[in-house]
Amino acid sequence: MADLAIEVAELKKTYRTPFRRKKVEALRGVSFSVAKNQIFGFVGPNGAGKTTTIRTLMGLIRPTSGTAKLLGHAIPSRLARTRIGFLPEAPYFYDYLTVGELLDLAGRLFGLDATTRKQRADRLIERVGLDRARAQSLKKFSKGMLQRAGLAQALMNDPDLVVLDEPMSGLDPSGRKEVRDLILELRDQGKTVFFSTHILSDVEAITDRVAIVARGVLVGEGTPAELVNRHILGIDVVVRVPREADAELTAAPAGITRIRRLGDELGCTLPADTDVEAWLARAHDQGAKVVQVVPRHETLEDLFLRRTSDPAPGEPPAVAS
Amino acid sequence: MIGRIWAIALNTFREAARIRVLYGILVLVVGANLLALVLGEMAVHDESRVARDIGLAGISLFGSLTAIFLGVFLLYTEVQRRTIHAIVSKPIERWEFVVGKYLGMALVLSVLVVVFGLAMGGMLLWQGGGVTAAVGKALILSWFEVLVVAALAIFFSSFSTPFLSGIFALALWVIGRVTPDIERATQAASPAISAVTKVVLRIVPDLHLFSVSGRSLDGNAVSVHGDFVPWSYVGLASLHGIGWIVWLLAFAAVLFHRRDFV
Repeated sequence: MADLAIEVAELKKTYRTPFRRKKVEALRGVSFSVAKNQIFGFVGPNGAGKTTTIRTLMGLIRPTSGTAKLLGHAIPSRLARTRIGFLPEAPYFYDYLTVGELLDLAGRLFGLDATTRKQRADRLIERVGLDRARAQSLKKFSKGMLQRAGLAQALMNDPDLVVLDEPMSGLDPSGRKEVRDLILELRDQGKTVFFSTHILSDVEAITDRVAIVARGVLVGEGTPAELVNRHILGIDVVVRVPREADAELTAAPAGITRIRRLGDELGCTLPADTDVEAWLARAHDQGAKVVQVVPRHETLEDLFLRRTSDPAPGEPPAVAS
Repeated sequence: MIGRIWAIALNTFREAARIRVLYGILVLVVGANLLALVLGEMAVHDESRVARDIGLAGISLFGSLTAIFLGVFLLYTEVQRRTIHAIVSKPIERWEFVVGKYLGMALVLSVLVVVFGLAMGGMLLWQGGGVTAAVGKALILSWFEVLVVAALAIFFSSFSTPFLSGIFALALWVIGRVTPDIERATQAASPAISAVTKVVLRIVPDLHLFSVSGRSLDGNAVSVHGDFVPWSYVGLASLHGIGWIVWLLAFAAVLFHRRDFV
């Protein structure tokens, strides 16, 4: 479809260990699609298959089976790569180069002429905040600076699709905010951004859609709101009530959690299926005044932990980079 | 395509310059010429003969060893350090990358041959021996020998570790230089051994073609100090070398194309 930037269908990758030839299933049938002009977050724990998926899309790894298209071109496609910017995980560049030389090399590989290379390199170096480190070789760069240089080289071709593998890794909070702002800016420019991360606050803050991958398969996909709103984990209540009423109020229903007393207030979390009005009526009978009643929705972190923690029956845990 | 290959070649040359390989080459040149000076002083006649011998041997020995040393790390390091991830994810074919790396290394080795050649020429002029056409021909042949050895090293580097690649490349360099001697030695053996040897030697580059001085060619003794090979021989040997380079790079590209960069 023309309005899809990425289409992945039943992507599988099986490695064999060097000597014992043991099979390791890194991807076990990953399918998802990314619409154009979206920010798509690809999340999962370490070893879930995020990087394997991205490396397969970028032509670094050949899939065992399955298909994938980038900007309408089946991978591996040199034509598609002219319109894609890629930041590898924990990027390692030629450390004898300066950031300007790195961008010039990237520009040459994208077939840009000398004037365009110079103009774009200057603009991007300034954009990622490396202006003062122009003369330094990459060998002297910190991890965060390398990440910024990596972002700059990924944008040298003014790509339609930007693929970032753990772009916030190694950055301090202000650096992470800058990257988030950059990603939002790219979307505003009409570009598609696909990025992997395990920092869920970043995902919740900026993504249009999220896919959760665990053990080489997708275990959830949707907008952050779609994914987390479906589940109410409990109801947080806080009432002002004498201490003597605590035992009576927390005895029922079964499954009350997070019971705490703060001065003259009692707080607890009622199970999601509690008849809240009945519980509040009981509290009222004990002389309580209601301070707060808030349904506790599942956060992306809750969802992430729930979906990625327990392997399906009979599924061996897969290992992937 | 040319632009992308050139970008990789230029970067490879730049790497050699930045990691001071070129300074190492200069040290070798100075060392070889000092040796030539000392041995020349010890020679009773014809110091220029010593300068020619040391100069050409230096190009062949140091050029080939540098080619092996640089070549075996060339692709392996890119994969191990993952620098290749940011490169092959750009619109470059893997074979273009292999060719670009080779050309970059060939540029470095050409600098070595040129610097050695200039030093040898300077020494010959200083000693009053003059730079003959034979020296020029021998230089061109040595240059091609070094380029073939570099292709050998990069071929092994496309699928093996630097240590093993180094051993393989070194072994083939030695065998390649003495193929006629091996062939002669096995002629007296059983027909089966002789036949097998012939087949094996066919898959090894004939590097002896590039160092013919002091050997017999079609029954005639050839020497860089006297009657040397004609230009037609230099042309044919160079074509032979180019053929091997193309084959080796093609195989390296195929093997590299099949690799996963995890």
